[in-house]
Amino acid sequence: MWGILNIVNLAHGALVIAGGYLTWLLYSRWHVDPFLSLPVDAVALFVIGYALQRGVINRIIRAPLLFTFLLTFGLNLILVSVLLLLFTPDYRSVTTSYSGSRLELGSIAVPYIRVASLAVAILLAAILWLILNRSRTGAAIQAVGADRDAAQLVGIDLRHAYALTFAIGAAFAGVAGGLISTFQAITPTAGDPYTLQAFAVVILGGLGRVSATVAGGLLFGLIEILGQSTPGLGSGYANAIAFAVLVIVLAFRPQGLLGRLA
Amino acid sequence: MESAGGILPWSEWGHNSVSLLAVNDLGKRFGGVQALQGVSFTVQDGDVLGIIGPNGAGKTTLLNCVSGLFRPDRGDIRWQDRSIVGQAPYRIARLGIGRTFQIVRPFPSMTVRENTAMGALFGQPAGRLQPAEALRQADAVLDLVGLADKRSHPVLRLTVPDRKRLEVARALAMRPRLLLLDEVMAGLNQVEVEQALEMVRQVRASGVAIVLIEHVMKVIVGVCNRALVLNLGRPLLEGPPSEVLRDRRVIEAYLGERYARGGDA
Repeated sequence: MWGILNIVNLAHGALVIAGGYLTWLLYSRWHVDPFLSLPVDAVALFVIGYALQRGVINRIIRAPLLFTFLLTFGLNLILVSVLLLLFTPDYRSVTTSYSGSRLELGSIAVPYIRVASLAVAILLAAILWLILNRSRTGAAIQAVGADRDAAQLVGIDLRHAYALTFAIGAAFAGVAGGLISTFQAITPTAGDPYTLQAFAVVILGGLGRVSATVAGGLLFGLIEILGQSTPGLGSGYANAIAFAVLVIVLAFRPQGLLGRLA
Repeated sequence: MESAGGILPWSEWGHNSVSLLAVNDLGKRFGGVQALQGVSFTVQDGDVLGIIGPNGAGKTTLLNCVSGLFRPDRGDIRWQDRSIVGQAPYRIARLGIGRTFQIVRPFPSMTVRENTAMGALFGQPAGRLQPAEALRQADAVLDLVGLADKRSHPVLRLTVPDRKRLEVARALAMRPRLLLLDEVMAGLNQVEVEQALEMVRQVRASGVAIVLIEHVMKVIVGVCNRALVLNLGRPLLEGPPSEVLRDRRVIEAYLGERYARGGDA
Protein backbone atom coordinates (compact mmCIF):
# COMPACT_ATOMS: atom_id res chain seq x y z
CA MET A 1 0.00 0.00 0.00
CA TRP A 2 2.74 2.36 0.93
CA GLY A 3 4.60 2.00 -2.33
CA ILE A 4 1.51 2.51 -4.45
CA LEU A 5 -0.63 4.89 -2.49
CA ASN A 6 2.13 6.75 -0.66
CA ILE A 7 0.13 6.13 2.47
CA VAL A 8 1.51 4.85 5.74
CA ASN A 9 -1.52 3.07 7.06
CA LEU A 10 -1.56 3.48 10.83
CA ALA A 11 -4.85 1.59 10.95
CA HIS A 12 -3.18 -1.58 9.66
CA GLY A 13 -3.08 -3.19 13.13
CA ALA A 14 -6.75 -2.41 13.73
CA LEU A 15 -7.63 -4.16 10.46
CA VAL A 16 -5.58 -7.17 11.58
CA ILE A 17 -7.45 -7.29 14.88
CA ALA A 18 -10.79 -6.88 13.11
CA GLY A 19 -10.00 -10.01 11.13
CA GLY A 20 -9.08 -11.77 14.37
CA TYR A 21 -12.40 -10.87 15.96
CA LEU A 22 -14.33 -12.05 12.95
CA THR A 23 -12.66 -15.45 13.16
CA TRP A 24 -13.31 -15.54 16.91
CA LEU A 25 -16.96 -14.57 16.40
CA LEU A 26 -17.54 -17.25 13.77
CA TYR A 27 -15.83 -19.84 15.94
CA SER A 28 -17.51 -19.01 19.24
CA ARG A 29 -21.00 -18.54 17.78
CA TRP A 30 -21.18 -21.12 15.03
CA HIS A 31 -18.10 -23.29 15.62
CA VAL A 32 -16.64 -22.42 12.24
CA ASP A 33 -13.11 -23.76 12.05
CA PRO A 34 -10.73 -20.76 12.20
CA PHE A 35 -8.94 -21.82 9.03
CA LEU A 36 -12.25 -22.00 7.19
CA SER A 37 -13.17 -18.50 8.34
CA LEU A 38 -10.08 -16.98 6.73
CA PRO A 39 -11.78 -16.46 3.34
CA VAL A 40 -14.63 -14.72 5.18
CA ASP A 41 -12.09 -12.43 6.88
CA ALA A 42 -10.57 -11.67 3.50
CA VAL A 43 -13.87 -10.77 1.86
CA ALA A 44 -15.15 -8.72 4.80
CA LEU A 45 -11.95 -6.73 5.18
CA PHE A 46 -11.71 -6.29 1.40
CA VAL A 47 -15.12 -4.61 1.46
CA ILE A 48 -14.24 -2.48 4.49
CA GLY A 49 -10.90 -1.52 2.95
CA TYR A 50 -12.47 -0.59 -0.38
CA ALA A 51 -15.05 1.59 1.37
CA LEU A 52 -12.44 3.30 3.56
CA GLN A 53 -10.23 4.16 0.63
CA ARG A 54 -13.01 5.18 -1.74
CA GLY A 55 -14.99 7.13 0.81
CA VAL A 56 -12.33 8.62 3.07
CA ILE A 57 -8.66 8.23 2.18
CA ASN A 58 -9.02 9.05 -1.53
CA ARG A 59 -9.91 12.59 -0.49
CA ILE A 60 -6.39 13.29 0.73
CA ILE A 61 -4.46 11.19 -1.73
CA ARG A 62 -2.60 14.19 -3.13
CA ALA A 63 -2.00 15.75 0.27
CA PRO A 64 1.39 15.62 2.03
CA LEU A 65 2.33 12.45 3.87
CA LEU A 66 1.58 14.02 7.25
CA PHE A 67 -2.13 14.23 6.41
CA THR A 68 -2.25 10.53 5.68
CA PHE A 69 -0.63 9.91 9.07
CA LEU A 70 -3.27 12.00 10.80
CA LEU A 71 -6.14 10.46 8.89
CA THR A 72 -5.10 6.83 9.32
CA PHE A 73 -4.25 7.52 12.98
CA GLY A 74 -7.80 8.78 13.41
CA LEU A 75 -9.23 5.81 11.53
CA ASN A 76 -7.24 3.55 13.82
CA LEU A 77 -8.81 5.19 16.90
CA ILE A 78 -12.29 4.83 15.44
CA LEU A 79 -11.79 1.20 14.46
CA VAL A 80 -10.35 0.30 17.87
CA SER A 81 -13.25 2.07 19.61
CA VAL A 82 -15.80 0.26 17.50
CA LEU A 83 -14.13 -3.06 18.32
CA LEU A 84 -14.16 -2.13 22.02
CA LEU A 85 -17.88 -1.37 21.88
CA LEU A 86 -18.65 -4.56 20.01
CA PHE A 87 -16.40 -7.00 21.80
CA THR A 88 -15.38 -5.34 25.13
CA PRO A 89 -11.71 -5.10 26.15
CA ASP A 90 -11.62 -8.73 27.37
CA TYR A 91 -8.97 -10.96 25.86
CA ARG A 92 -10.42 -13.51 23.44
CA SER A 93 -8.80 -16.55 21.94
CA VAL A 94 -9.78 -19.30 19.59
CA THR A 95 -9.01 -22.68 21.15
CA THR A 96 -9.78 -25.59 18.90
CA SER A 97 -9.54 -29.32 19.58
CA TYR A 98 -6.21 -29.40 17.76
CA SER A 99 -4.79 -26.28 19.38
CA GLY A 100 -2.44 -28.21 21.65
CA SER A 101 -1.23 -30.75 19.08
CA ARG A 102 2.34 -30.56 17.95
CA LEU A 103 4.40 -31.82 15.10
CA GLU A 104 7.42 -33.68 16.55
CA LEU A 105 10.58 -33.39 14.50
CA GLY A 106 13.34 -35.01 16.52
CA SER A 107 14.01 -32.68 19.39
CA ILE A 108 11.83 -29.86 18.04
CA ALA A 109 8.09 -29.70 18.52
CA VAL A 110 6.09 -27.28 16.42
CA PRO A 111 2.37 -26.70 17.04
CA TYR A 112 0.29 -27.77 14.02
CA ILE A 113 -1.38 -24.40 14.04
CA ARG A 114 1.95 -22.70 13.45
CA VAL A 115 2.72 -25.07 10.58
CA ALA A 116 -0.68 -24.37 9.03
CA SER A 117 -0.20 -20.63 9.50
CA LEU A 118 3.11 -20.83 7.68
CA ALA A 119 1.39 -22.65 4.82
CA VAL A 120 -1.32 -19.99 4.65
CA ALA A 121 1.29 -17.23 4.71
CA ILE A 122 3.15 -18.83 1.78
CA LEU A 123 -0.14 -19.20 -0.08
CA LEU A 124 -0.99 -15.55 0.54
CA ALA A 125 2.39 -14.38 -0.72
CA ALA A 126 1.89 -16.47 -3.87
CA ILE A 127 -1.63 -15.07 -4.38
CA LEU A 128 -0.38 -11.53 -3.93
CA TRP A 129 2.42 -12.12 -6.41
CA LEU A 130 -0.08 -13.48 -8.93
CA ILE A 131 -2.44 -10.54 -8.45
CA LEU A 132 0.30 -7.98 -8.87
CA ASN A 133 2.15 -9.61 -11.76
CA ARG A 134 -0.39 -11.59 -13.72
CA SER A 135 -3.72 -9.80 -13.49
CA ARG A 136 -5.31 -6.74 -15.03
CA THR A 137 -5.81 -5.28 -11.55
CA GLY A 138 -2.14 -5.81 -10.75
CA ALA A 139 -1.11 -4.04 -13.93
CA ALA A 140 -3.31 -1.08 -12.98
CA ILE A 141 -1.88 -1.02 -9.46
CA GLN A 142 1.69 -1.04 -10.74
CA ALA A 143 0.97 1.66 -13.30
CA VAL A 144 -0.71 3.91 -10.75
CA GLY A 145 2.21 3.38 -8.39
CA ALA A 146 4.71 4.35 -11.08
CA ASP A 147 3.00 7.43 -12.49
CA ARG A 148 -0.55 8.40 -11.64
CA ASP A 149 -0.99 10.89 -14.48
CA ALA A 150 0.34 8.54 -17.14
CA ALA A 151 -1.83 5.78 -15.68
CA GLN A 152 -4.97 7.90 -15.95
CA LEU A 153 -4.17 8.77 -19.52
CA VAL A 154 -4.02 5.14 -20.61
CA GLY A 155 -7.53 4.80 -19.22
CA ILE A 156 -7.02 3.63 -15.65
CA ASP A 157 -9.62 4.76 -13.13
CA LEU A 158 -7.35 6.16 -10.43
CA ARG A 159 -9.84 6.10 -7.57
CA HIS A 160 -10.89 2.55 -8.29
CA ALA A 161 -7.27 1.39 -8.54
CA TYR A 162 -6.42 3.06 -5.22
CA ALA A 163 -9.44 1.55 -3.53
CA LEU A 164 -8.59 -1.91 -4.86
CA THR A 165 -5.02 -1.54 -3.61
CA PHE A 166 -6.15 -0.61 -0.13
CA ALA A 167 -8.84 -3.29 -0.17
CA ILE A 168 -6.31 -6.00 -1.06
CA GLY A 169 -4.03 -4.79 1.73
CA ALA A 170 -6.93 -4.82 4.19
CA ALA A 171 -7.99 -8.32 3.09
CA PHE A 172 -4.49 -9.65 3.73
CA ALA A 173 -4.39 -7.91 7.12
CA GLY A 174 -7.72 -9.53 7.99
CA VAL A 175 -6.47 -13.02 7.12
CA ALA A 176 -3.35 -12.38 9.18
CA GLY A 177 -5.60 -11.43 12.10
CA GLY A 178 -7.60 -14.60 11.70
CA LEU A 179 -4.39 -16.63 11.88
CA ILE A 180 -3.12 -14.70 14.88
CA SER A 181 -6.30 -15.38 16.82
CA THR A 182 -5.56 -19.12 16.67
CA PHE A 183 -2.36 -18.91 18.70
CA GLN A 184 -2.64 -15.65 20.60
CA ALA A 185 -5.32 -13.97 22.66
CA ILE A 186 -6.57 -10.74 21.09
CA THR A 187 -8.01 -7.53 22.45
CA PRO A 188 -9.09 -4.44 20.49
CA THR A 189 -6.00 -2.46 21.44
CA ALA A 190 -3.54 -5.22 20.52
CA GLY A 191 -3.11 -4.05 16.93
CA ASP A 192 -0.41 -1.42 17.27
CA PRO A 193 2.58 -3.80 17.30
CA TYR A 194 1.37 -5.21 13.98
CA THR A 195 1.31 -1.74 12.43
CA LEU A 196 4.84 -1.20 13.63
CA GLN A 197 6.01 -4.59 12.44
CA ALA A 198 4.39 -4.22 9.03
CA PHE A 199 6.10 -0.88 8.67
CA ALA A 200 9.47 -2.32 9.71
CA VAL A 201 9.19 -5.40 7.49
CA VAL A 202 8.33 -3.36 4.41
CA ILE A 203 11.22 -0.96 5.02
CA LEU A 204 13.64 -3.77 5.76
CA GLY A 205 12.81 -5.67 2.59
CA GLY A 206 12.36 -2.69 0.35
CA LEU A 207 9.26 -1.26 -1.28
CA GLY A 208 7.52 -2.56 -4.30
CA ARG A 209 8.18 -6.26 -4.54
CA VAL A 210 6.45 -9.20 -2.88
CA SER A 211 9.71 -11.16 -2.71
CA ALA A 212 11.44 -8.27 -0.96
CA THR A 213 8.68 -8.01 1.60
CA VAL A 214 8.73 -11.76 2.27
CA ALA A 215 12.50 -11.62 2.77
CA GLY A 216 12.09 -8.62 5.05
CA GLY A 217 9.48 -10.48 7.08
CA LEU A 218 11.62 -13.59 7.50
CA LEU A 219 14.65 -11.56 8.49
CA PHE A 220 12.70 -9.43 10.94
CA GLY A 221 11.20 -12.56 12.52
CA LEU A 222 14.60 -14.21 12.82
CA ILE A 223 16.16 -11.16 14.43
CA GLU A 224 13.29 -10.97 16.91
CA ILE A 225 13.64 -14.65 17.85
CA LEU A 226 17.42 -14.38 18.14
CA GLY A 227 16.93 -11.36 20.38
CA GLN A 228 14.55 -13.32 22.57
CA SER A 229 16.75 -16.39 22.88
CA THR A 230 20.08 -14.64 23.42
CA PRO A 231 21.19 -15.46 26.96
CA GLY A 232 21.21 -12.49 29.26
CA LEU A 233 18.59 -10.62 27.26
CA GLY A 234 14.94 -10.99 28.10
CA SER A 235 12.20 -11.07 25.49
CA GLY A 236 11.68 -7.40 26.28
CA TYR A 237 14.74 -6.63 24.17
CA ALA A 238 13.50 -8.51 21.10
CA ASN A 239 11.79 -5.47 19.56
CA ALA A 240 14.62 -3.17 20.53
CA ILE A 241 17.15 -5.37 18.74
CA ALA A 242 14.93 -5.81 15.70
CA PHE A 243 14.41 -2.08 15.33
CA ALA A 244 18.09 -1.37 15.94
CA VAL A 245 18.84 -3.60 12.94
CA LEU A 246 16.22 -1.68 10.99
CA VAL A 247 17.89 1.63 11.77
CA ILE A 248 21.28 0.23 10.75
CA VAL A 249 19.89 -1.10 7.46
CA LEU A 250 18.28 2.26 6.72
CA ALA A 251 21.54 4.04 7.38
CA PHE A 252 23.40 1.98 4.80
CA ARG A 253 20.68 0.97 2.34
CA PRO A 254 17.83 3.49 2.43
CA GLN A 255 15.96 1.61 -0.30
CA GLY A 256 15.79 -1.56 1.85
CA LEU A 257 17.78 -4.74 1.47
CA LEU A 258 16.25 -5.82 -1.83
CA GLY A 259 14.56 -2.59 -2.82
CA ARG A 260 15.18 -0.62 -5.96
CA LEU A 261 15.82 3.08 -6.02
CA ALA A 262 12.92 4.93 -7.52
CA MET B 1 -27.27 21.32 -31.56
CA GLU B 2 -25.06 24.36 -31.63
CA SER B 3 -21.84 24.17 -33.55
CA ALA B 4 -18.96 25.25 -31.37
CA GLY B 5 -16.52 28.02 -32.16
CA GLY B 6 -18.67 29.57 -34.86
CA ILE B 7 -17.63 33.13 -34.12
CA LEU B 8 -14.09 32.60 -35.27
CA PRO B 9 -13.35 32.81 -38.99
CA TRP B 10 -10.95 29.84 -39.19
CA SER B 11 -13.39 27.33 -37.81
CA GLU B 12 -15.83 28.07 -40.61
CA TRP B 13 -14.88 25.18 -42.80
CA GLY B 14 -15.91 22.64 -40.19
CA HIS B 15 -19.49 23.87 -40.26
CA ASN B 16 -21.49 21.21 -42.06
CA SER B 17 -20.29 18.25 -39.99
CA VAL B 18 -19.78 17.75 -36.27
CA SER B 19 -16.14 18.26 -35.32
CA LEU B 20 -14.16 15.47 -33.73
CA LEU B 21 -12.85 17.96 -31.19
CA ALA B 22 -14.06 21.51 -30.71
CA VAL B 23 -12.36 23.80 -28.22
CA ASN B 24 -14.20 27.05 -27.61
CA ASP B 25 -12.99 30.15 -25.76
CA LEU B 26 -10.85 28.16 -23.36
CA GLY B 27 -9.39 29.93 -20.32
CA LYS B 28 -7.12 28.66 -17.56
CA ARG B 29 -5.46 30.63 -14.78
CA PHE B 30 -2.82 29.50 -12.29
CA GLY B 31 -2.80 31.99 -9.44
CA GLY B 32 -1.82 35.29 -11.07
CA VAL B 33 -0.80 33.76 -14.38
CA GLN B 34 -3.31 33.60 -17.19
CA ALA B 35 -2.00 30.44 -18.86
CA LEU B 36 -4.72 30.28 -21.52
CA GLN B 37 -7.21 32.86 -22.71
CA GLY B 38 -9.78 32.75 -25.50
CA VAL B 39 -8.32 29.71 -27.24
CA SER B 40 -10.60 28.12 -29.83
CA PHE B 41 -9.99 25.56 -32.54
CA THR B 42 -11.52 22.47 -34.06
CA VAL B 43 -10.11 19.17 -35.22
CA GLN B 44 -11.77 17.09 -37.93
CA ASP B 45 -11.11 13.48 -38.90
CA GLY B 46 -7.89 13.33 -40.89
CA ASP B 47 -6.52 16.61 -39.51
CA VAL B 48 -2.98 17.07 -38.29
CA LEU B 49 -3.04 20.31 -36.33
CA GLY B 50 0.29 21.77 -35.24
CA ILE B 51 0.37 23.96 -32.15
CA ILE B 52 3.38 26.22 -32.00
CA GLY B 53 4.50 29.06 -29.81
CA PRO B 54 7.39 30.15 -27.60
CA ASN B 55 8.07 28.52 -24.26
CA GLY B 56 5.37 29.34 -21.75
CA ALA B 57 2.79 30.02 -24.46
CA GLY B 58 0.38 27.53 -22.87
CA LYS B 59 0.72 24.66 -25.32
CA THR B 60 1.09 21.87 -22.78
CA THR B 61 -1.54 23.47 -20.54
CA LEU B 62 -3.90 23.30 -23.50
CA LEU B 63 -3.27 19.56 -23.97
CA ASN B 64 -3.67 19.02 -20.23
CA CYS B 65 -7.10 20.67 -20.36
CA VAL B 66 -8.18 18.53 -23.30
CA SER B 67 -6.98 15.29 -21.68
CA GLY B 68 -8.64 16.21 -18.38
CA LEU B 69 -5.57 16.61 -16.17
CA PHE B 70 -6.49 20.28 -15.71
CA ARG B 71 -9.96 21.67 -15.49
CA PRO B 72 -10.33 24.88 -17.50
CA ASP B 73 -11.78 27.93 -15.74
CA ARG B 74 -13.88 28.91 -18.70
CA GLY B 75 -14.86 27.81 -22.17
CA ASP B 76 -15.88 24.44 -23.45
CA ILE B 77 -14.23 21.35 -24.90
CA ARG B 78 -16.52 19.18 -26.99
CA TRP B 79 -15.77 15.69 -28.25
CA GLN B 80 -18.08 14.76 -31.09
CA ASP B 81 -20.39 17.53 -29.90
CA ARG B 82 -20.53 16.44 -26.26
CA SER B 83 -18.82 18.45 -23.56
CA ILE B 84 -15.98 16.65 -21.79
CA VAL B 85 -15.06 19.43 -19.35
CA GLY B 86 -14.84 18.08 -15.81
CA GLN B 87 -14.68 14.43 -16.83
CA ALA B 88 -12.02 12.22 -15.25
CA PRO B 89 -8.90 11.77 -17.39
CA TYR B 90 -9.41 8.01 -17.68
CA ARG B 91 -12.89 8.54 -19.13
CA ILE B 92 -11.60 11.04 -21.66
CA ALA B 93 -8.85 8.58 -22.60
CA ARG B 94 -11.43 5.85 -23.15
CA LEU B 95 -13.50 8.13 -25.38
CA GLY B 96 -10.65 7.91 -27.88
CA ILE B 97 -8.20 10.67 -27.01
CA GLY B 98 -4.64 9.35 -26.66
CA ARG B 99 -1.89 11.48 -25.21
CA THR B 100 1.90 11.49 -24.96
CA PHE B 101 4.05 13.52 -22.63
CA GLN B 102 6.85 15.89 -23.53
CA ILE B 103 9.02 14.26 -20.89
CA VAL B 104 8.44 10.58 -21.47
CA ARG B 105 6.71 8.72 -18.66
CA PRO B 106 6.94 4.96 -19.17
CA PHE B 107 6.07 2.55 -16.38
CA PRO B 108 9.59 1.58 -15.24
CA SER B 109 8.86 -1.90 -13.88
CA MET B 110 7.48 -3.12 -17.19
CA THR B 111 8.99 -4.10 -20.52
CA VAL B 112 8.39 -2.21 -23.75
CA ARG B 113 5.71 -4.70 -24.70
CA GLU B 114 3.97 -4.53 -21.32
CA ASN B 115 4.02 -0.74 -21.33
CA THR B 116 2.34 -0.71 -24.71
CA ALA B 117 -0.17 -3.32 -23.64
CA MET B 118 -1.33 -1.01 -20.83
CA GLY B 119 -2.94 1.23 -23.41
CA ALA B 120 -4.78 -1.70 -24.95
CA LEU B 121 -5.69 -3.16 -21.58
CA PHE B 122 -7.36 -0.09 -20.13
CA GLY B 123 -7.77 2.60 -22.74
CA GLN B 124 -9.89 1.13 -25.51
CA PRO B 125 -13.36 2.55 -26.02
CA ALA B 126 -14.76 -0.91 -26.77
CA GLY B 127 -14.18 -2.19 -23.25
CA ARG B 128 -12.26 -4.84 -21.37
CA LEU B 129 -9.50 -6.88 -22.92
CA GLN B 130 -7.75 -9.86 -21.43
CA PRO B 131 -3.99 -9.45 -20.82
CA ALA B 132 -3.04 -11.98 -23.53
CA GLU B 133 -5.06 -10.13 -26.17
CA ALA B 134 -3.66 -6.80 -25.02
CA LEU B 135 -0.11 -8.12 -25.44
CA ARG B 136 -0.94 -9.38 -28.92
CA GLN B 137 -2.27 -5.98 -29.93
CA ALA B 138 0.78 -4.33 -28.38
CA ASP B 139 2.99 -6.32 -30.77
CA ALA B 140 1.07 -4.97 -33.75
CA VAL B 141 1.49 -1.39 -32.54
CA LEU B 142 5.20 -1.91 -31.85
CA ASP B 143 5.60 -3.01 -35.46
CA LEU B 144 4.02 0.25 -36.59
CA VAL B 145 6.31 2.49 -34.53
CA GLY B 146 9.43 0.44 -35.23
CA LEU B 147 10.08 -1.00 -31.79
CA ALA B 148 9.23 -4.60 -32.59
CA ASP B 149 12.77 -5.91 -32.09
CA LYS B 150 13.02 -4.25 -28.66
CA ARG B 151 9.72 -5.47 -27.27
CA SER B 152 11.24 -7.44 -24.39
CA HIS B 153 13.64 -4.72 -23.31
CA PRO B 154 13.15 -3.07 -19.95
CA VAL B 155 12.09 0.50 -20.70
CA LEU B 156 14.90 2.08 -18.74
CA ARG B 157 17.41 0.69 -21.26
CA LEU B 158 15.76 2.49 -24.19
CA THR B 159 17.36 5.47 -25.92
CA VAL B 160 15.53 8.81 -25.91
CA PRO B 161 14.10 8.42 -29.45
CA ASP B 162 12.92 4.91 -28.59
CA ARG B 163 11.25 6.15 -25.41
CA LYS B 164 9.39 8.70 -27.50
CA ARG B 165 8.27 5.94 -29.84
CA LEU B 166 7.11 3.96 -26.84
CA GLU B 167 4.98 6.89 -25.65
CA VAL B 168 3.33 6.98 -29.06
CA ALA B 169 2.92 3.19 -29.06
CA ARG B 170 1.24 3.18 -25.66
CA ALA B 171 -1.19 5.87 -26.78
CA LEU B 172 -1.87 4.11 -30.11
CA ALA B 173 -2.63 0.85 -28.35
CA MET B 174 -5.70 2.60 -26.97
CA ARG B 175 -7.00 2.73 -30.55
CA PRO B 176 -7.68 6.46 -30.27
CA ARG B 177 -9.42 8.58 -32.87
CA LEU B 178 -7.34 11.57 -31.81
CA LEU B 179 -3.73 11.56 -30.69
CA LEU B 180 -2.24 14.46 -28.72
CA LEU B 181 1.54 14.51 -29.18
CA ASP B 182 3.53 16.76 -26.87
CA GLU B 183 6.92 17.45 -28.49
CA VAL B 184 7.67 13.94 -29.63
CA MET B 185 10.50 15.28 -31.79
CA ALA B 186 12.30 17.36 -29.16
CA GLY B 187 15.84 16.17 -28.52
CA LEU B 188 16.02 14.09 -31.69
CA ASN B 189 18.72 14.51 -34.33
CA GLN B 190 18.04 15.06 -38.05
CA VAL B 191 17.81 11.40 -38.95
CA GLU B 192 15.65 10.59 -35.95
CA VAL B 193 13.29 13.47 -36.78
CA GLU B 194 12.87 12.05 -40.29
CA GLN B 195 12.04 8.64 -38.83
CA ALA B 196 9.60 10.16 -36.35
CA LEU B 197 7.95 12.15 -39.14
CA GLU B 198 7.47 8.97 -41.09
CA MET B 199 5.87 7.41 -38.02
CA VAL B 200 3.45 10.33 -37.65
CA ARG B 201 2.51 10.05 -41.33
CA GLN B 202 1.76 6.38 -40.86
CA VAL B 203 -0.38 7.10 -37.84
CA ARG B 204 -2.31 9.69 -39.85
CA ALA B 205 -2.69 7.22 -42.71
CA SER B 206 -4.20 4.71 -40.27
CA GLY B 207 -7.08 7.14 -39.73
CA VAL B 208 -6.09 8.88 -36.50
CA ALA B 209 -6.39 12.65 -36.25
CA ILE B 210 -3.43 14.34 -34.57
CA VAL B 211 -2.77 17.47 -32.55
CA LEU B 212 0.94 17.99 -32.07
CA ILE B 213 2.98 20.51 -30.17
CA GLU B 214 6.27 21.13 -31.89
CA HIS B 215 9.21 23.51 -32.00
CA VAL B 216 10.82 21.92 -35.04
CA MET B 217 9.34 23.89 -37.94
CA LYS B 218 10.26 21.19 -40.43
CA VAL B 219 7.80 18.93 -38.63
CA ILE B 220 5.01 21.49 -38.77
CA VAL B 221 5.50 22.04 -42.50
CA GLY B 222 6.17 18.39 -43.20
CA VAL B 223 3.12 16.81 -41.65
CA CYS B 224 0.51 19.36 -40.52
CA ASN B 225 -2.35 20.61 -42.65
CA ARG B 226 -3.03 23.47 -40.22
CA ALA B 227 -1.08 25.29 -37.54
CA LEU B 228 -2.27 27.28 -34.53
CA VAL B 229 0.10 29.78 -32.96
CA LEU B 230 -0.18 30.57 -29.26
CA ASN B 231 1.60 33.41 -27.56
CA LEU B 232 1.30 34.16 -23.83
CA GLY B 233 -1.76 31.94 -23.63
CA ARG B 234 -3.65 33.66 -26.45
CA PRO B 235 -4.20 32.48 -30.01
CA LEU B 236 -2.10 34.56 -32.40
CA LEU B 237 -3.36 33.09 -35.65
CA GLU B 238 -4.31 29.87 -37.37
CA GLY B 239 -3.94 28.71 -40.94
CA PRO B 240 -1.92 26.57 -43.34
CA PRO B 241 1.59 26.00 -41.92
CA SER B 242 3.50 27.67 -44.77
CA GLU B 243 1.48 30.88 -44.37
CA VAL B 244 1.58 30.87 -40.59
CA LEU B 245 5.35 30.49 -40.47
CA ARG B 246 5.83 33.45 -42.82
CA ASP B 247 3.64 35.73 -40.73
CA ARG B 248 5.46 38.69 -39.22
CA ARG B 249 3.67 38.36 -35.85
CA VAL B 250 4.80 34.76 -35.50
CA ILE B 251 8.41 35.62 -36.20
CA GLU B 252 8.17 38.43 -33.67
CA ALA B 253 6.73 36.17 -31.02
CA TYR B 254 9.43 33.59 -31.53
CA LEU B 255 12.51 35.63 -32.19
CA GLY B 256 11.74 39.12 -30.96
CA GLU B 257 10.66 42.24 -32.77
CA ARG B 258 14.11 43.36 -33.87
CA TYR B 259 14.72 40.09 -35.70
CA ALA B 260 11.44 40.47 -37.58
CA ARG B 261 12.38 43.96 -38.75
CA GLY B 262 15.74 42.69 -39.90
CA GLY B 263 14.25 40.79 -42.83
CA ASP B 264 13.02 37.40 -43.88
CA ALA B 265 14.27 34.86 -41.34
